[in-house]
Amino acid sequence: MGAEQAWLLAAIPAGMFVVLALFGRKLPRGGDYLGILAIGSSFVLSFFVLADLLGTEEKLGPITKAIDWTQIGNFQLRMGTFVDPITVVMFGVVTTVALMVNIFSVGYMKGEPRYWWFFAVLQLFAASMLLLVMADNLLLLYISWELVGVCSFLLIGFYWEKRSATEAAKKAFITTRIGDVGLLIGIILLWREAGTFNIQEIIQHAEEGHFSSAYLFVSMCFIFLGAMGKSAQAPFHVWLPDAMEGPTPVSALIHAATMVVAGVYLTARLLPVFEVADGTTLIITIVGLVTAVLTAFMAFAQTDIKKVLAYSTVGQLGFMFVALGSGNPSAAMFHLMTHAFFKALLFLGSGSVIIATHHNQDMSKLGGMWKKLPITGTTFLIGSAALAGVVPLAGFWSKDEVLHSANSEWGPWALAIAGGAAVMTAFYTTRLFIRTFMGEPRDAHVYEQTKEPGWAMTGPLVFLAFLAVVSGLVVFHGVGKVLGFPGGITEFVFLEEAEKYSIDWGLAALSLLISATGIGIGAWMYWGNSTRRSTSLATSYPRAYDALCNKFYFDEAYQWCIDRGVLGFSFLVSWFDRYIVNDTGVDGSAQVTGFSGYTLKFLQSGKLPNYAMGIALGVVALAFAGILVRG
Amino acid sequence: MVPLENYLVLSAIVFSLGVYGVLARRNAVLILMSVELMLNAVSLNFVAFAAYLDPNRITGAIFAIFVITVAAAEVGLALAIVIRLFRNRSTSNVDEAAIMKW
Repeated sequence: MGAEQAWLLAAIPAGMFVVLALFGRKLPRGGDYLGILAIGSSFVLSFFVLADLLGTEEKLGPITKAIDWTQIGNFQLRMGTFVDPITVVMFGVVTTVALMVNIFSVGYMKGEPRYWWFFAVLQLFAASMLLLVMADNLLLLYISWELVGVCSFLLIGFYWEKRSATEAAKKAFITTRIGDVGLLIGIILLWREAGTFNIQEIIQHAEEGHFSSAYLFVSMCFIFLGAMGKSAQAPFHVWLPDAMEGPTPVSALIHAATMVVAGVYLTARLLPVFEVADGTTLIITIVGLVTAVLTAFMAFAQTDIKKVLAYSTVGQLGFMFVALGSGNPSAAMFHLMTHAFFKALLFLGSGSVIIATHHNQDMSKLGGMWKKLPITGTTFLIGSAALAGVVPLAGFWSKDEVLHSANSEWGPWALAIAGGAAVMTAFYTTRLFIRTFMGEPRDAHVYEQTKEPGWAMTGPLVFLAFLAVVSGLVVFHGVGKVLGFPGGITEFVFLEEAEKYSIDWGLAALSLLISATGIGIGAWMYWGNSTRRSTSLATSYPRAYDALCNKFYFDEAYQWCIDRGVLGFSFLVSWFDRYIVNDTGVDGSAQVTGFSGYTLKFLQSGKLPNYAMGIALGVVALAFAGILVRG
Repeated sequence: MVPLENYLVLSAIVFSLGVYGVLARRNAVLILMSVELMLNAVSLNFVAFAAYLDPNRITGAIFAIFVITVAAAEVGLALAIVIRLFRNRSTSNVDEAAIMKW
């Protein structure tokens, strides 16, 4: 088993999806153990791939394998896998999180209807994401990209008896679809000029300067549109918080490992092309910064645990795009990895709270949960601290890297904005933790019933908490050396030139200050069950508070546009269809035939002399006509 | 030799008589007879033209024989219909047999 067989990683869960979809209903326990087995074997195999990659001669050189797929005219389409450090990082992240989510779901989904179907789609979800990160050409990538979209639709709308869930599923699907159309246009544009779908050949084509700069700029903007849609960057961020309607393990999977990071992966993969296309990196950076700040604001006023986490995900994805826009894929992939671990931890932790409190996810009814849920509380604290960027947890190192690259590429303004977003992140994370786990319970009834869930749910939490603590350390040379990739992750995931990681002490101090500030403000406002300070703030600035509660009216604005634009246009089209196409075209021609038939039938009088006269007059008329024509 | 015009004039007169008979008569048998007149007028035309324009070829005569054959068949069929009509309605007046209409 080497990296040439990397396709097995996707094939095993995909095959298991088929098995579970066909027979899952009849299997004992819905076949959940088969799902765990499939994703577990992918998890194990990903280490073989890593080992194979580390053993290559030319130092982490990509390992490719492709087969001829089809021939259309002169165009030969080859499909295959492409394994390089970015892929391996994604393998690790996706399989780890998917495995943890699968195990967690055994506890979380217990007794739910369609239990077997849930596990089946989880397999397909993981398989499509794994296929996406190893695709060597844009066509295969697009196929798996859409598969990921379909799976998210199925899982967000898992409780399809609930109207809000189906609405959320539709919203997620349609919003990402708008970006997907852009991606498809971008892929076709690149193919038209380069004549290939192969990613490496396109990169080479771009670097040799065969694209005209305006053409490349437009194509890459379309490609980035796809990444924005999938990664829920502003202004496409609206679907992600609504996606919380799905079961919580799905939220963990979507937010940490699959789906939303696909956009980050795509941008990282095509970063050499983005760098050739002048101006696109600035666009990426600005989109990332705007999203990070915007969603941090939105997270302030949310009272639903999962919604706060959803906005924090969008914000962290913004950070990853800032790193990519700054030309530092290593930092982006590093942040992606650490974020995947602690965000999966936070989501699964919130899932544990939800199960423990019998489906209560409103912070205003929680509080003081730490006493009742010691394991969940402790692991959640670790996850929150990692998200807030507390040294030495994972989030600190990767966020530091992002800030560092933003500073060195774009200068202090980018650092200031990103830093501001980081302060806000630390603030609302603190608020989330204090409101949920500390202080006095606000709802005695809920508190009474709370009980720590079983090992199936706490086990993954502990494992992910461990990763959230240590995964940041791979940044160091020594740690990397022990694990087999000397130079740490920053040299592992490089695209062009490696950059040795060195701690910028000033920046490290700054980022420490950032998280301390955020946590400090959060603690000052919410410590000890008191909402006095936050309420007084909300009442002194009612308009700002309203805007936050309504998420800056994005949904309302979109609804307005849909009502006026789409429905107005639809009205015109339906009017045209009803009165022109249907009434005039279809019914009209039928009526003309019917009316002329009704009128002409009276000519058939049944009287023989009339017919004879008709024939005679006809002959005369023809004779005259002939004379006239002949002249 | 009788000039061609005479034949044509005779043919036209006979044809017109036939047309008049078809249009004016109400008796089915008389209508059939008028039709025969028209057919014979046409046959006369064929034969006359054949004799005058190209005496060596008998194309026109053959056409005339065809017309006679077809006319015989037609009359056989039509008279059968007329007999059925008479059996059922006790009349051969075509105005009385006008129920096949809209």
